[in-house]
Amino acid sequence: MTRILLSILALLLISSSPVLSQTKGETWRYEGPRIGMDISRLLLPIMQTAKRNGWEIQADIPYKGNLFPTFEMGMQWYDDKHDKFRYKNNGSYARVGIDMNIVKFESLKDHDFVFVGFRYGYSVFNQQTDSIGTSNYWGSINTSLSRHPMNAHWGELVFGMKGELFPNFFLGWSLRAKFPLSVTKDANIHPYIIPGIGKTGGGTPFDFSIGVYYRFPIFRSKTLPKPLKMGGAKHPGLNNGTENDQYNQGGNNGGYQNNNSGY
Amino acid sequence: MRYYLIVIALLGLLLESCNSGNRCYDSVDAFMVSSFNISGFNPISTLLVKGVNRNDVGDTLVNDASSTLTKRYPLPLSLSADSTGFVIRVNGVSDTLYVRHTMILKLISENCGFAPNYVLSGFRYTSGIDSVKITDKKVNSLSTAKATNDQNIIIYFSAAAH
Repeated sequence: MTRILLSILALLLISSSPVLSQTKGETWRYEGPRIGMDISRLLLPIMQTAKRNGWEIQADIPYKGNLFPTFEMGMQWYDDKHDKFRYKNNGSYARVGIDMNIVKFESLKDHDFVFVGFRYGYSVFNQQTDSIGTSNYWGSINTSLSRHPMNAHWGELVFGMKGELFPNFFLGWSLRAKFPLSVTKDANIHPYIIPGIGKTGGGTPFDFSIGVYYRFPIFRSKTLPKPLKMGGAKHPGLNNGTENDQYNQGGNNGGYQNNNSGY
Repeated sequence: MRYYLIVIALLGLLLESCNSGNRCYDSVDAFMVSSFNISGFNPISTLLVKGVNRNDVGDTLVNDASSTLTKRYPLPLSLSADSTGFVIRVNGVSDTLYVRHTMILKLISENCGFAPNYVLSGFRYTSGIDSVKITDKKVNSLSTAKATNDQNIIIYFSAAAH
């Protein structure tokens, strides 16, 4: 934990140094690792009936301009009281993956993007059920199921947006379809909520998250990232990147310099 | 772009707060579906079923006075013991059947809660019963949804005794 705090402090110091700080009038494009928090996790306790608390931090770093390797981790505490049982589920999770920007950056200062991505997730959690009451012709019982350590693996497809609201401060949202790959078996109760996946009952679990992020502007460049080539047919006679291609030219024709990287 | 970013984020928040409701649409009662037959195609004129040692008013599980070759009724199994006993009175003759089983509680859904799931393992019965055949040893909340010609057990009564 101390190492993480020291690393964050070092990044803050580097990003606030005069050499790399953003100065008015300069046409640099600033990039760097982005760290944030999923605020929808903090809002869950007031939005849902069950006692569901948790936190999630998210981080990404630009790679070749349009790719963003991503790491996310979090914890969740769930306590659901029903008339005939009380279910508790606590655990932590992590996800790794990558997001890919699918829109063109309009200018050096434009950092808003729309992305698609995928994640691999792993969760370690335990579940416990108390006060299970049931009755029939023969009488009634009241029993408990002891704490059971479990784990789960899953994949996610992600679609979302991130935009710079203020210099270096981003807001983003993502819609995620989650595909459980394996979950520890329990004869009595298949977990109906899994930290990192969410509610699992009925079909593919979907999730919506909203994050706020701070970008550490430790890299700078005068080059706008090249839009990703999506394949498809090339049409003869159309621009093949030799003329009017602002992403590939030097500074003479109104394009962006590509020989002045500050990385 | 920022307009969409903020509008969709707010819509997503609203979506996140939606609750799927807390109504239960599934059954949590598990019954052993039992067929009653007299060997040799003799009709059952009257059928009365009670639990062993259950003689109070309202303890009768089945009281059927219509004459048919086969009768089919769901019977509840004990939640706490590993065997359940029934007193079965067919055409005025009483027999006792004990069903051995194991039971675990299984979650049906978040809204419905738990239902007992049984596995039938054997029987003990008095001489008026010829035999008992298991056709499906798993008894759960879906058992009562079986087709009309399907059941968990078939009880054959002796023609000589009835």
